Amino acid sequence: MTEVLRWGRRFGTLLGFLLVILFFWLNLPDTFMTARNLLNISQQISMLAVVAFSMTMVMVMNDFDLSVGSMASLAGIVAALLFSQGTSVLLGISAALAVGLLGGLVNGILVSLVGILPFVATLGTLTIFSGLAFFISGGKTIFGRDIPASFSGFARGGISLGMLNERPLLLPNLTIVALLVLLIVWVVLEHTTFGRRLYAIGGNREAARLAGVRVRLLRLLAFVFTGFGAALAGLMYASRVASANPTQGAGLMLDAIAAVFLGMTMSEEGEPHVLATLVGVLILGVLDNGLTQMQVDSYVREMLIGGIIVAAVASSSLGKA
Amino acid sequence: MTSLLSVKNACKSYNGNQVLDHVWLELASAEVHALMGENGAGKSTLIKLLAGVVSPDRLELTLKGSPVQIRSAKEAFALGLRFIHQELSVVPQLSVAENLFLQLPYPKRFGLVNWQRLNEKARTMLAGLGIEHIPPGRKMARLSTGDKMLIKIAAALLGEASASASVFVLDEPTAALSSEESGRLFKLIEQLKQRGCAVLYVSHRLEEIFALCDRVTVMRDGKTVASKKLAETGQNELISLMTGRSLGQIYGKREKELNQELLLKVTRLENKKLKGINFQLLKGEILGLAGLAGSGRSELLRALMGVDSSSHDIALAGQRFVAHSPTVSWEQGLAFVPEERRTEGLVLSHSVEKNIALPHLAQLSGAGVLLNRSVQGKKARALSQMVNLKARNVGQKTKELSGGNQQKVVFARALAASPRLLLLDEPGRGVDVGAKGDIYSFIRTLSSKGTGIIMASSDLAELLGLCDRILILHEGRQIALVKAQGLSQADLLSLCYQTEVAA
Repeated sequence: MTEVLRWGRRFGTLLGFLLVILFFWLNLPDTFMTARNLLNISQQISMLAVVAFSMTMVMVMNDFDLSVGSMASLAGIVAALLFSQGTSVLLGISAALAVGLLGGLVNGILVSLVGILPFVATLGTLTIFSGLAFFISGGKTIFGRDIPASFSGFARGGISLGMLNERPLLLPNLTIVALLVLLIVWVVLEHTTFGRRLYAIGGNREAARLAGVRVRLLRLLAFVFTGFGAALAGLMYASRVASANPTQGAGLMLDAIAAVFLGMTMSEEGEPHVLATLVGVLILGVLDNGLTQMQVDSYVREMLIGGIIVAAVASSSLGKA
Repeated sequence: MTSLLSVKNACKSYNGNQVLDHVWLELASAEVHALMGENGAGKSTLIKLLAGVVSPDRLELTLKGSPVQIRSAKEAFALGLRFIHQELSVVPQLSVAENLFLQLPYPKRFGLVNWQRLNEKARTMLAGLGIEHIPPGRKMARLSTGDKMLIKIAAALLGEASASASVFVLDEPTAALSSEESGRLFKLIEQLKQRGCAVLYVSHRLEEIFALCDRVTVMRDGKTVASKKLAETGQNELISLMTGRSLGQIYGKREKELNQELLLKVTRLENKKLKGINFQLLKGEILGLAGLAGSGRSELLRALMGVDSSSHDIALAGQRFVAHSPTVSWEQGLAFVPEERRTEGLVLSHSVEKNIALPHLAQLSGAGVLLNRSVQGKKARALSQMVNLKARNVGQKTKELSGGNQQKVVFARALAASPRLLLLDEPGRGVDVGAKGDIYSFIRTLSSKGTGIIMASSDLAELLGLCDRILILHEGRQIALVKAQGLSQADLLSLCYQTEVAA
């Protein structure tokens, strides 16, 4: 009995994911399990994936960053505003990523050096970043001719995988970016001393400090990384919709945290791992895609997704007890 | 003597480690009964069984002559058992009177609480117990720890008649109290005794026990070894009952003479908790830190490791050394075994291997950054073997290990880089006798290789058995630095108490 529970705790989420895929495959036999739709899903979830992967970095230390969504919006606005002033694409992108690093640094300083609880500190910066995005954009959406074609073209492009039904099949650029971020976070967390130390901080901060881990510096750096990831996701979003408005990243934060939590249900220690976060992101992405195709009302969709998250986390904590 | 509460055949084991082995205890009414034993003797487990928070493997309880069972904290309460810990559960936002009457109906007038009457009732009640210095209207949060404890005990005396308190268990109550507060507590304990209650008093402070208690039960290594009238025993007998072995057996001996090479020179070390610490340490020397609880033993180790900041002038092997961060200290060849291995020593959810590697990650990795699992695994296996670790393999999670084996993991980590200076805080605490012997033998081995060792301990036998010299601290000040050879436990204890007697 306990073996079943343990197995269920470890693989329940993965099994659930496979059942969800099977369900959509059976109900949408023509449109769901096609190469084109799967590549489409990969592009749809790429922004969420980048935010969730970088969120994993701070959640490894039992910290949170609630400001990622508004940072994504702010980064998009910063880039678009600079484009509208006629700056080069490279400069706009660099400035937006710099804003991400800076915002992450502010979060890191507040949490790690000042010692404010991450929940409170990043709730504060969430509001600040969001206000700033509204302020500098005047609350308006920046679109049309202000956005250079080379910027918005990036999201539409991709690496050709050949032709399917006489239309080119592309591995979208945004998917490639998300995969690169996945690779980087995976190497950093699983294969470097930096990542090992982050996990030690998450496991027991005081013990890590006494064992010589520079807890404050590492926490700060992790927040900087998360800020950078959020800004990158904001740019991806702006490129995909060829516009920027001060609220477009707002939905990312809760979904990213949900994805990390879904992933954590697959770990025996309850630690986040970035490959598990990927599964969490895929679950959310596939549900969203499938339910939309089945024309389920978007409010019902939200309720279903919320219910599934609660069920997954509840079953894994029941398994632990 | 009429027995009020009798405990027989209390047994409990964790992961095959027998913590309580047919323990017995007899409490009479109107008696203050001391429970003594070294750390790890099983006192706190016994108390947890009585409190209903840990379920026993076996336990025979008789209360007032009839057999009873305690399966939950609620049942313990219903039987009239009250537990007073250092961390007291009070409602800090409410007043003293409100806290006193928390479980009883407040006096009312026209359906509303009659605050005046409530405060009067509380005042009369407190006066009856000789607690006149605490105004009943004061917020609980503003009281000192000692006063909170008095109120907590007074509240326990109120209760409903059906669940009236008959047995009080006080677990190291004076650890955080000033001497004035302790005095008040002792008066209240006298009151409890006069009301016919039994008080089980757990403390390491011999003087308090002789002044306050009627009988003493001594536990050692999970067994009850004796129960005696205090009038018929002495400090020396109690200490030998608690430690149970003649010195030198498990502690080993220094193999060869120290060569007089200076390793460490500490001058004018000071911080919030410490004043004017000056001492020197030779290569291979074992220096003990002794003193009562709160004397600054752990604080001195933490300051040397750079965990707590301090102003100091330290030379390590002739080089100036600034202790300002544990990271630098590990890099400089210091190693630290902290007091609380579960909260300060180990990442319990991580494996033995990860815990051993943690302070040495840079040396065990490619270019100092890329983890190298095979190098780490090899190192961890070699060290585990060296410390005689009993684990399935180095991948086992440290939370699954027994206390002694957890301590060995913390030791293995400290030995990993062949430290120049090893700082140990309570190395033998909560560790079974077998593991203790192993731990003492690595201390000896390291010392013979020239590692300087500073160990803080509340276990006098351990200090006398292992150390070359002992530094005695009192309230953060260094009051004596003596050679351990020829010293008896009583001598050392009286040195620890020295300034208290003088003051």
